[in-house]
Amino acid sequence: MYLNLIKMKRHLVLSGFLILGLSACGGETTAPEPVATSVPEVESALSFESQATVGADSYATNCASCHGANLEGTTLGPLLSGFSFVQRWGTQTPALLLGNIQSNMPPGGNENISDEDYLNIVAHILNINGVDSVSDALTASSDFEIADNISQIIAQRQRPEPPAPQGLTVTGNTEEFVEFVPLTQEMLRDPNPADWPMHRRNFYGHSYSPLDQINTENVKNLSLEWVWNMHEGDSEPAPLVYNGIIYLINPGNVIQALDAESGELIWEHWTGPANRQDMRNIAMYDDKIIQATTDARLVALDARTGEQVWETVVADNSKGFANSSGPIVADGKVIQGLAGCARYIPEDCYISAYDADNGELLWQFVTIAKMGEPGGDTWGGLDNIFRAGGETWITGSYDPDLNLTYWGTAQQKPWVPVSRHMTIFDVGLYTNATVAVDTESGELDWYFQHVPAEALDLDEVFERVLVNRGDEKFVYSIGKYGILWKNDRVTGEFRGFQETVFQNAFTNIDPDTGEVTYRQDIQNAQLNEWTSACPSSAGGKDWHSMTYHPPSGLIIAPLSQTCLENAAREVALVQGGGGLAASRKFFEMPGTNGNLGKVGAYHADTLEEVWSFQQRASLHTGTISTGGDLVFVGDLDRRFKAFDVNTGDVLWETRLGTSVQGHPVSFAVDGKQYIAVTAALGGTSPRTVPGVIATEITYPRWGNAIYVFSLPDE
Amino acid sequence: MKLGRKFPLFVLLSILLFSTITQAQEVFRARLSPMPTTPQTVATILGEGEVILTLNGNSLSVEGNFEGMSSAATGAHVHNGPPAQPGPVIHTLEVTQTTGGSVLGELTLTEEQVEALHNNEFYIQIHSESNPPGELRGWVFLRSHFDN
Repeated sequence: MYLNLIKMKRHLVLSGFLILGLSACGGETTAPEPVATSVPEVESALSFESQATVGADSYATNCASCHGANLEGTTLGPLLSGFSFVQRWGTQTPALLLGNIQSNMPPGGNENISDEDYLNIVAHILNINGVDSVSDALTASSDFEIADNISQIIAQRQRPEPPAPQGLTVTGNTEEFVEFVPLTQEMLRDPNPADWPMHRRNFYGHSYSPLDQINTENVKNLSLEWVWNMHEGDSEPAPLVYNGIIYLINPGNVIQALDAESGELIWEHWTGPANRQDMRNIAMYDDKIIQATTDARLVALDARTGEQVWETVVADNSKGFANSSGPIVADGKVIQGLAGCARYIPEDCYISAYDADNGELLWQFVTIAKMGEPGGDTWGGLDNIFRAGGETWITGSYDPDLNLTYWGTAQQKPWVPVSRHMTIFDVGLYTNATVAVDTESGELDWYFQHVPAEALDLDEVFERVLVNRGDEKFVYSIGKYGILWKNDRVTGEFRGFQETVFQNAFTNIDPDTGEVTYRQDIQNAQLNEWTSACPSSAGGKDWHSMTYHPPSGLIIAPLSQTCLENAAREVALVQGGGGLAASRKFFEMPGTNGNLGKVGAYHADTLEEVWSFQQRASLHTGTISTGGDLVFVGDLDRRFKAFDVNTGDVLWETRLGTSVQGHPVSFAVDGKQYIAVTAALGGTSPRTVPGVIATEITYPRWGNAIYVFSLPDE
Repeated sequence: MKLGRKFPLFVLLSILLFSTITQAQEVFRARLSPMPTTPQTVATILGEGEVILTLNGNSLSVEGNFEGMSSAATGAHVHNGPPAQPGPVIHTLEVTQTTGGSVLGELTLTEEQVEALHNNEFYIQIHSESNPPGELRGWVFLRSHFDN
């Protein structure tokens, strides 16, 4: 039945192609509606197989540089083959895949790629992924389910479920190393100095360890204690350390428990899916390790043995929902964000909370205001289904006194207002904002939209750092525009800003209100019009967390200096469509002397820059600070450095096996202080953009590992 | 003898004149790097370079070097545009017609152009055979801007 439909639709499209060709010869600018006529000559020439053959060449020309010659993925783009592709696209149609690729790929522009080329590329991708029961040529409206035409998948469905390739692969018990003590809310509120028990170490997100054994005087003696190779894949790991045990998230949603002193593996759990997608952090509470998976589930493991305790679905991965960050546990509630919300579907993005004991859903806060709701009139009258974005892809912070959790939200999707059929005045609540949500009820307490109606793929989603100065309570954040924002975290009131890197997207930032005014050409950008702006989508700051150093009052941030040219692409308002839809090119930021990496220190009171350090290599870890007045950060060029927190002087550095990426931690075992950091691949745009600018920096495309340093024993 | 008596005054005047010239002369610099690129074009938009610009009054001398372009240079210009925003050509420079070489030029600026120069609104762009829209580009800043 569907073959007949495909034939009919193929005729429509083929006729359309012919008409467009004739129109071009005749010089007409508007193609008439295609009509259903039979074109037997062309029909006999085209088949799925012939499309795939031609598509292989088109793929090699336009896609292989990022996605690999064999669709295996590279550091510039994800893989397009195998299990993860089928999982992501198996339940979708070729038409949706075509629309996604046509709207978004290649990122540098598609002026020379015809509709036919795109169809051929889709045929090639499907062919490589095992689509083998389709003979008729694909059309722009081919609407069969992809997995239904992969005989291997059909055969798998007909067989009994194979044993799950997951679970405990190494068994052990942490109690063989140290007596287990449950991690309570009070212990999380005021962590033991020896521990790093949550992402960014405390509820306030300070990424600060009070340990001071390693200090500005002796850091020059810092030496490698042990190293542990991790699973390969893309990764931005943020290890946890509790009571002498390191809990380490690996690519493929694998968690390991290691003895922090010796580096010995205690247990390993494969939660799956076994893909190569980026994941940042995990959480710990009571006797459980809690992980978000890249396919948008939450899983709790026994911290002692790694055995699974409970599992719950955060959102439907087949609809594009995913996670790249894990939860924060606040007062026994596992609070989790959500990513992959760019599609035009009824479901929107949300922050959600679950009972840490059993994974039961407690509440959801939807980050997209719908028609008839407060803020629902800020979406330019779009139907609810076409309101997309508002992802919460970086873990929030928590104030236990105010009982509020603070999250950054991403921008509207697609990236440019004209692509989303909106104007620069359609601000789209609650995107690109700080939202303060009641941890008990999930109700919105306040919001502050930093960059309304975002227009360049520069979201404000990153960590919220909570700081008390005297009696005042503040929340600080830096988004991709590189602007350090300071807000009262009780009310959300704007309290100041500082530009940490050069930006030219805004002609004015109101010093009293924080209201931004976009440059006129960005406000009015039309489809396929290039606008040039700084910073780029790699972000003045990106996912790498900044640190607050309480003794000095300094906020020290890992920053990035690149710029972009951006052009909006057309996106049709059709259910299942959507996407990101922009072409981008990248270049060095003027005036930086080609230095992509910058460490900047800003005083929490004045926001003035106290010191900065610039270098060619981009930074790929968060910054952490310590009671020894040190700041640690790692870079693309495999260097891991220690700075004097007060002066910015480099006091120590070493070189690791590959790019230093993730979130360093400091901890102590038996009174001895350690510094740990991961080397990793992936990392999304903060890696892909330097990859086309600082091309002379080379590093192995493997070598994920955790390195642990300490001072030599006296 | 007369010269001898007037020599200290001559020295003083010379110092004053030199001081005035030194004060009036400002040195600017542009780092040349590849034009906006993508993973698809990164292997074909190449090279780097440095241009020193010296301003005396409203006279601007331009002297620089470049290397490593993907094909021979076909032209070079001084443009007027704020940092990271393209703008119009205001002067054509002499350029070596090879993948590496030098750029040279002498300009007389208007008052508005002197102000634009001080506002970092000048940039240098070199075009090549395989990249007619431009292969290398760099915005002009006071050389002291790069000291830190």
